Amino acid sequence: MTEALQFFLISWLDLKLLGLVALGTFAGIYVGAIPGLSVTMAVSILISFTFAWDVYPALCLMVGIYMGGVYGGSRTAILLNIPGAPSAIATALDGYPLAQKGQAGEAIGLSTVMSFVGGFIGIGVLAVAAPFVSEFALTFQPRDYMLLAILGILLVGSLSGESLLKGVFAGALGLLIGAVGLDPLTAEERFTFGMVELWGGISFIAVMIGLFGVSEALTQLHHIDKAAVKQTIGRIVPSWRAVGKYLPLSLQTSSIGVIIGALPGTGGDIAALMAYDHAKRVTKKPEVPFGEGAAEGLVAPETANNAAVGGAFIPMLTLGIPGDAVTAIIIGAMFIHGLNPGPMLMIEQPQMFWFITGALVLANIFMLIFGLTGIRLFTKIVEMPRAVLIPLILLLSIVGAYAVNNSITDVYWMLLFGAFGYLLKTYGYQVGPVILGVILSRLIDENWRRAIISEQEDLGRLFMGVLTSPLSLVLFGAVVFIFISQTPLWTGLRARFGTARARGDGV
Amino acid sequence: MHDPSKKMPGETAFAVVLVGLSGFLLWQAILISGFEALSSPGAFPMAAAFAMLVTSVAILIKTLRLRERMALRFFTDVAPPVILAMFAMMLGYALLLKPLGFLPTSLLFLTLSIFALRRRGLLWSFGVSLASLALVYVIFRLVFTVLMPSGLVPEGEILAWLGNLFSGGDTQ
Repeated sequence: MTEALQFFLISWLDLKLLGLVALGTFAGIYVGAIPGLSVTMAVSILISFTFAWDVYPALCLMVGIYMGGVYGGSRTAILLNIPGAPSAIATALDGYPLAQKGQAGEAIGLSTVMSFVGGFIGIGVLAVAAPFVSEFALTFQPRDYMLLAILGILLVGSLSGESLLKGVFAGALGLLIGAVGLDPLTAEERFTFGMVELWGGISFIAVMIGLFGVSEALTQLHHIDKAAVKQTIGRIVPSWRAVGKYLPLSLQTSSIGVIIGALPGTGGDIAALMAYDHAKRVTKKPEVPFGEGAAEGLVAPETANNAAVGGAFIPMLTLGIPGDAVTAIIIGAMFIHGLNPGPMLMIEQPQMFWFITGALVLANIFMLIFGLTGIRLFTKIVEMPRAVLIPLILLLSIVGAYAVNNSITDVYWMLLFGAFGYLLKTYGYQVGPVILGVILSRLIDENWRRAIISEQEDLGRLFMGVLTSPLSLVLFGAVVFIFISQTPLWTGLRARFGTARARGDGV
Repeated sequence: MHDPSKKMPGETAFAVVLVGLSGFLLWQAILISGFEALSSPGAFPMAAAFAMLVTSVAILIKTLRLRERMALRFFTDVAPPVILAMFAMMLGYALLLKPLGFLPTSLLFLTLSIFALRRRGLLWSFGVSLASLALVYVIFRLVFTVLMPSGLVPEGEILAWLGNLFSGGDTQ
């Protein structure tokens, strides 16, 4: 226990690490707050600069950016009605009406304190649950890992975009990109077209920066002339009374956030929307109706999306399976730093787990401090003209892609994926599943081969194994359910069930 | 921007390209190790490419069925000149990075792109670019110690000279 505490406090006691967490959180808040610049983009560009670093400082920066970025999106949602990140979509519903009434300061203050509460609960659950989950994960069979990873990609594909078909396409494309290079087991060439440069595969960083940095910046060029809206902000630090009043609700919505965040494939955006819905159902008599500036409508999504951060680290650290695009990028970075997230991480390197938990708590505290101060600077940065911002992001994307391997080939890959990602987004395909696919490609490939070899290449036996193990059966059922839920049959059934229930209510 | 009930300009062509890409990749995946075993190196890529082909064909059929078109044009709404120009400038940056070096290429790139996007005078763009580049240089080159090609500017010597200046020259 004392050992755990020691590791927990590493980032608190080392001034350099402390500074990096602060810097990361600060950068995360501001990047997350600029509309169109998502936390995924911030993490993907900034992470590429940390590869030469030791693992501790690099993790400090990443954890800070993630925590700050999830919170930062709420700022512009409240002030401009433009969510800075998908996880802040629900925040805008009641946050912006509050700002229109001239209560932007109070809204920001309340959302900051509530994000802090949510973040704290999420990390608490992570610290308590992760050791148990990882022990449980040791009993997982290769087929369970394979099913879980496929489930993660399918969930991201079906929930974040307009159609499951496009999500599956994007995920499969990612899996294929991840398979390029020499096969890790037999060293056979895959998709190398005889080029030695492709033996090591396509740089994950190049794909990531292309898809999240360049393609997002190009999309932003459509809105180059949109002027920033100015707001006057009064009191920020909320009263104790207000915090106390919404604390019970925030505890409920935090639990929603942690659970949704911990499911592979679902992250802060879905957690926030579900929490908003929950708040609407349990708040019988809001002072102000929902959608017109109800404080409950602000508290619920903000606690949930920050609680989801701690939740998302659970499958990431214990199973090696990312919950969403940001955690996929963080896992990729951990691989490059020689860490291997999964059940063995907790056994072989428990210090890493406690170190990350400590850095998360620290980032949460910095989020509260930076959130309640520096509003003037904030409005200045958000008002920065896009004509300056976008070239800078593109420049950093190139530098980031180049810096990892000092290779100009990586820059060309990044540009290719940037253009391709832009077209994918334009035509309604999600890019999140692509990066999840790239990260999970090796895990699925290896576990598939292990599973099928252990069943002597017999598909029937593998299938029987799935049917006789409760865990595999649940995972398999979930995968099948996602497909069925997208078919006309299911929508028809649901519509019939829905009308029957509505009739039942009416009686 | 994308509305699934209406067709966007270029959407059908894009869907066709994706089908072609998927087919090509499936063919390449089959070439890896054929159908020799379920655990062969080619099995997983084949499955992924097959999933791509099936979904891309289904997407193409859905796209072809869409009757209503969006009132948009490819070269004004999907790939307007500003996006094509910025992309071309990034390609130019990648080409010039090695021969010219990081500082001159970046300055050129920032000045031209900010000027093109903002249209507030070349001198203003140059000033803003110089200031932002200085910031980028300090953060990424000096603090994060990212190595970039130096090219025309003898960056290493200048840094060494500055270092000597601050250490009082007593190292010599």
